[in-house]
Amino acid sequence: MSELAEPSTQAFKTREQVDFVIIGSGAAGGILAKELAEAGHSVVILEQGPHLKAADFRHDEWGYKHNFDLTWSARRGNVQTFRKTSDEEAEPREAVLRYAHNVGGSSVHFSGNFWRLRPIDFMEASVKGTIAGTNFSDWPIRYEDLEPYYTKVDWEIGVSGLQGPWDPFRSRDYPCPPMPIKGSDVLLERAAKKLGLNPYPAPVAILSKPHNGRPGCINCGWCNGFGCEVDAKSSSMVAMIPFALATGNCELRTWATVSRINTDSSGRANEVVYFDADGVEQAQKTKAVVLSANGAETPRLLLMSESNLFPRGLANSSGVVGQNLMFNGYSSVAGLFEEPVKAWKSIPATRVVHDFYELDSELGFYGGGGIDGRHPSAGTPIEFALGASDSFGGPSWGADFKDSLASRFSHSAAFDGHTTSLPLPTNNVTLDPTHRDNFGRPAIRCTYMDHPDDLATMEWFMNKSVELMEAVGAKNISASYPSGGQTGNVHLLGTCRMGDDPDTSVINPNHRAHDVPNLFLCDGSSLVTSSRGQPTMTIMALAFRAADLINQAARRSEI
Amino acid sequence: MRLLQNSASKSAMLLTLPTIISACQEAKKNQLTASAFQTLSSTEAMELDAVAERILPATDSPGAREAGVVYFFDNVLKDRIDALDILRIGLHDLQKNTGSEFNSPFFHPLSSLDQDQLLKSIEDTEFFATARYLTIAGMFALPEYGGNRNLVGDQLVGFDGRLGWTTPFGYYDADYMEKGE
Repeated sequence: MSELAEPSTQAFKTREQVDFVIIGSGAAGGILAKELAEAGHSVVILEQGPHLKAADFRHDEWGYKHNFDLTWSARRGNVQTFRKTSDEEAEPREAVLRYAHNVGGSSVHFSGNFWRLRPIDFMEASVKGTIAGTNFSDWPIRYEDLEPYYTKVDWEIGVSGLQGPWDPFRSRDYPCPPMPIKGSDVLLERAAKKLGLNPYPAPVAILSKPHNGRPGCINCGWCNGFGCEVDAKSSSMVAMIPFALATGNCELRTWATVSRINTDSSGRANEVVYFDADGVEQAQKTKAVVLSANGAETPRLLLMSESNLFPRGLANSSGVVGQNLMFNGYSSVAGLFEEPVKAWKSIPATRVVHDFYELDSELGFYGGGGIDGRHPSAGTPIEFALGASDSFGGPSWGADFKDSLASRFSHSAAFDGHTTSLPLPTNNVTLDPTHRDNFGRPAIRCTYMDHPDDLATMEWFMNKSVELMEAVGAKNISASYPSGGQTGNVHLLGTCRMGDDPDTSVINPNHRAHDVPNLFLCDGSSLVTSSRGQPTMTIMALAFRAADLINQAARRSEI
Repeated sequence: MRLLQNSASKSAMLLTLPTIISACQEAKKNQLTASAFQTLSSTEAMELDAVAERILPATDSPGAREAGVVYFFDNVLKDRIDALDILRIGLHDLQKNTGSEFNSPFFHPLSSLDQDQLLKSIEDTEFFATARYLTIAGMFALPEYGGNRNLVGDQLVGFDGRLGWTTPFGYYDADYMEKGE
């Protein structure tokens, strides 16, 4: 359906030194590819998955959610292991650190929720004080540094929304008006107003009207976990990659699985080793490397690239590569309503309550977040039917169970909380000592236990959502949060954090590795704090900023 | 595919009751055709079909049997060896119970009352959890996976997988617009 041009004619030789190899074509990598190629640099993108298009995507819950057709998983040879604390033996587990496996990365299958950070996010530790036992700290940049790039994301990627009462300063209005309100968000808005709160239209990376040659959303409802069938979702796959390829300076290599970044004797990155689509090992010569493989794969690759010069892993003299993993917390509160809500239509959420962006410090714990109105199972029937009796009671099989599904699917709505996570050294990505993936690479081992403040925040948001549900007359309220600690997530943040101090961070404020002058890291791993649960907007803004700074450095011959 | 799906969904909604009943009879007849199964033996298929039928029975609307859920089992189990093992071991245990309690070597010939009683007693087993999971999945997955025939699962929950919708989506947003909130 898209009419975007896509001439992919460029083909570099692996022995030919290109200006940049970009590892990963997701939210950040797609933007960096477009910006660096448009500046005239030769660019090779190495993407471990295929290049899918709108025509490849379908309303296929079994395929995407249960068969993991879009995500990298143990079913496809990518085993991961999980443990809560380092004294446990990590066990192989499906769906721990979840990310897409295709051009555009998780920006293809994400929900599209697109909240900017606020000024407080960048300096919260100095305003509120540090927290013992955590690495909670200020960012080395401020909102003002990122604002021009947030606006660039709004217009180049495509964002719909309306400036809200407490939204931070923006230099330009949204390019597209908000998406139309859906029933679940009418209920949220009415409830919030009863409680004296300020609900307002949710900003989303989904087009409410045609923009940049792409069509507006047609409200099919299959966003969260699925690829958009009409190119209305603003992934880097549709908004950036075609323009990167159109420069003629950029080659996209799909099914290219990177195993190592090599350095020369002076410690500069000079070669990226990968398995091609046929499983044959290749090595691409390059002047510089941009690593945008996500908050799980980026630290793994650095740790795998250890050498005599870099015995703790590449760019890891600090030892913090892989640490400070942050998931964001969540709470889920579902209710049944008298009339058909039909929340399974349209985008995931059209209203958000941000009155609790920062919880009162007198509560005795750190935290904050937002609440939006959704369908309890992202509109998908299998997941709904599997969980309906747990959520709303009644039998879990048989005639009465079957009859209950008939009304519950359309009559339900959820008010979900999206919350902060603290950066902890003990929550991390390391290389599993025993398990390997199907390329022989050490499996990602995730160690994660939510901080007590994170759990308290999730519980607080759950209780607030219950209050909202009661205020709007929900008949049968089901409330939960992962009280025993999360065992996986799609938000993979903080594992190669940005900072001024090379002893406590991996990259400088310009995304350059402290230890390797021509290695740049930009993805969820760069974040210093967790955001309030919708990090992709910030990852994309950081990518535009990083690209700008890299292009400036290149003009000064300082790569 | 998209167009096919839409037209399938539209035509399914136009089916009359006699058509559904005859489609159901047709489906049931098909299910006894052993050669149609790739992963399951015909006995396993008959047993699992009977279990699935009790999990989502035909009521005033078609159930798992009419949806062809056992064909979904057969299809997806071919590369889910762990689940297949759980089901085979579980069926073996179930058949021990049918033998000791109802003097029948098989589950599927029992009355639905007896079947429910047996399933009730094994509700907490891995076998039952796996059978329930695949029954529900087969009821609602795209028909190309083998179940959800004639989109009976979609119709059960009032889901419609058409590509696009216009406002209002449901009661509350219609009411919101009408009141000019």
